[in-house]
Amino acid sequence: MQTTTVAAERTVARTPHEVFALFGTSRGAGWVFGARCDEVRTGAPVSLRLPLGEQGRHDVDVLGRLCRVVPAAVIDIEHTQPWRGRLTLRFTPAGPRGTRVQARAHVPAEGVEWLLHRRGIPLPEPPDDGAIRLGVIATSSGPGAVYSLSAELMAELAVDEINADGGIAGHPVRLLPADDATDAEQAAAEAERMVRLGCRAVFVNSTSASFDAVRRVLAGRGVLVVHTVLNEGGGVSPTAIRFGERPHAQLEALVAPTMATTGARRWFLVGEGYVWSYGAHAAAQRAIARAGGEVAGEALSPLGTSDFSATIDAVRRSGADLVLSTLVGADEVAFERQSEAAGLRESTRTVSLALEESTLAHIGPRAGNGLRTALGYFQDNPVAGNAELVGRYRAAFGTWAPAITALSETVYEAIHQYARVLHRDPDGSAAGHGQALMRSRDRAGGDVVGARDLLRPQLYVAEGRPSGLQVVGEAAPTR
Amino acid sequence: MEPNENLAFDALSDRVRRRILAVLGEHGELSVGDIAGRIDAVGRTTVSSHLRVLRTSGLVRERRDGRNRFYSLDVDGAVRDAFVFLQSILHQAVAGAAATDPSTAEPAGTDGERDTG
Repeated sequence: MQTTTVAAERTVARTPHEVFALFGTSRGAGWVFGARCDEVRTGAPVSLRLPLGEQGRHDVDVLGRLCRVVPAAVIDIEHTQPWRGRLTLRFTPAGPRGTRVQARAHVPAEGVEWLLHRRGIPLPEPPDDGAIRLGVIATSSGPGAVYSLSAELMAELAVDEINADGGIAGHPVRLLPADDATDAEQAAAEAERMVRLGCRAVFVNSTSASFDAVRRVLAGRGVLVVHTVLNEGGGVSPTAIRFGERPHAQLEALVAPTMATTGARRWFLVGEGYVWSYGAHAAAQRAIARAGGEVAGEALSPLGTSDFSATIDAVRRSGADLVLSTLVGADEVAFERQSEAAGLRESTRTVSLALEESTLAHIGPRAGNGLRTALGYFQDNPVAGNAELVGRYRAAFGTWAPAITALSETVYEAIHQYARVLHRDPDGSAAGHGQALMRSRDRAGGDVVGARDLLRPQLYVAEGRPSGLQVVGEAAPTR
Repeated sequence: MEPNENLAFDALSDRVRRRILAVLGEHGELSVGDIAGRIDAVGRTTVSSHLRVLRTSGLVRERRDGRNRFYSLDVDGAVRDAFVFLQSILHQAVAGAAATDPSTAEPAGTDGERDTG
């Protein structure tokens, strides 16, 4: 793969120690030195706001981790969003009180392609090479990018494993990935291209809004669409199926137990103004009533909200002692960080439905401490098959690749399941394949990574700790 | 030249412009009429004005053949622009090390470098 290096340097009248200390602080200016980074140490998550347009209208977060830190000398960032690349900073003494600051960006061909596509240049249309094409619509930019860090990597891992195993019915498999930019219309445009390029199935690892848009584009065109992230349900058809956790099951595992351990009973619901939170909050109303609690208030904000001060005030005024968050991605990161900073944690306990490893990492150890969630997969959960999966993932993508999450593990398993269905029935219809996927859940032998029940996943309850999400219990199997 | 609305990555916000680029990507070189015919609910005048912006931004090239004008994607120009953009944001990045310091050394030595490998 061709990677291009772009570099710039400048000499400043500060010592290397002073320049190094600017990084990630409010004193550091610009998109790199003004990074959001709670700790400047190797392995720490980092978020940089790439200025793509004037007035910040089209800014995009570069999300990654510090992969090498040498105080006063080196800061290296490995990032996966909006493309996979590396950014390095070097500080060398220049005279008695000066520092030569060098920045270098290693941009792979996919990074340049992403930039061009962002400006409207269509993605390349590869010629037919006889491979079976599978589309994956994930999110590399916009508020959803933070929960999608490992989605494309896990889709790639699944396809590499299928090909290493001889492909599907004698054909190699090729993945066509695309970024929906957390935008349903963009998801629809990418789905249109995937149909044109002959994809047999499109996996949507994004919002319910994007799933719905893709489902409409693909209806009646002989292409199967599979939603592979937790969702509120509904909107399915023979050629549109939905995998992943459902709010009613998550809430069952979270609401009553949290009330029992805290003695609290007044809930405030915080979510997004679209179909996902509408569905999740309706389920929450029922779960809370069943558990003998009450709903003290609700606040819905548009996806992409970054200032939650009004919501936090509303929670405080309501007298709620429990918060249910159905916010996703960057919105959830902002809300939890601001809640903690505002002291809301002193009077409330928070349960969050879309809280996976990457989102928690970007919330940070302080604001993430004590948050609870219930999902079907956690990277540190020692269920059968998981150590092997994590081992294969690290071998393929390295130490600093983002955590495997419930969302990315689901797209991985969904692609494998689909490949098995297609292998058995290569000439079947999309509807036939959809039905086969819906049937494939009858399994004995408990929860095994690589053969999870994606329709009614076994849920585990986990809590945010400084070390990450720690599994604290197993939910009763859902009915 | 018009002011630089081109360098803003605003294609996402402008659906028509994005649509024009997609049509050119799919069909290669087309006339204004051909483009307008492939985009619903948008007339030739609108397409022409968007094409002007896209040409100024270096995303589209124009070819004249007698009285006709044909348009196609200028991918090479767009790639050049992408590197100019990356270079400019890296300069902004290192400038951040100096921005809050009143006694900044002269902004010399900002030569960029580009290599492929």
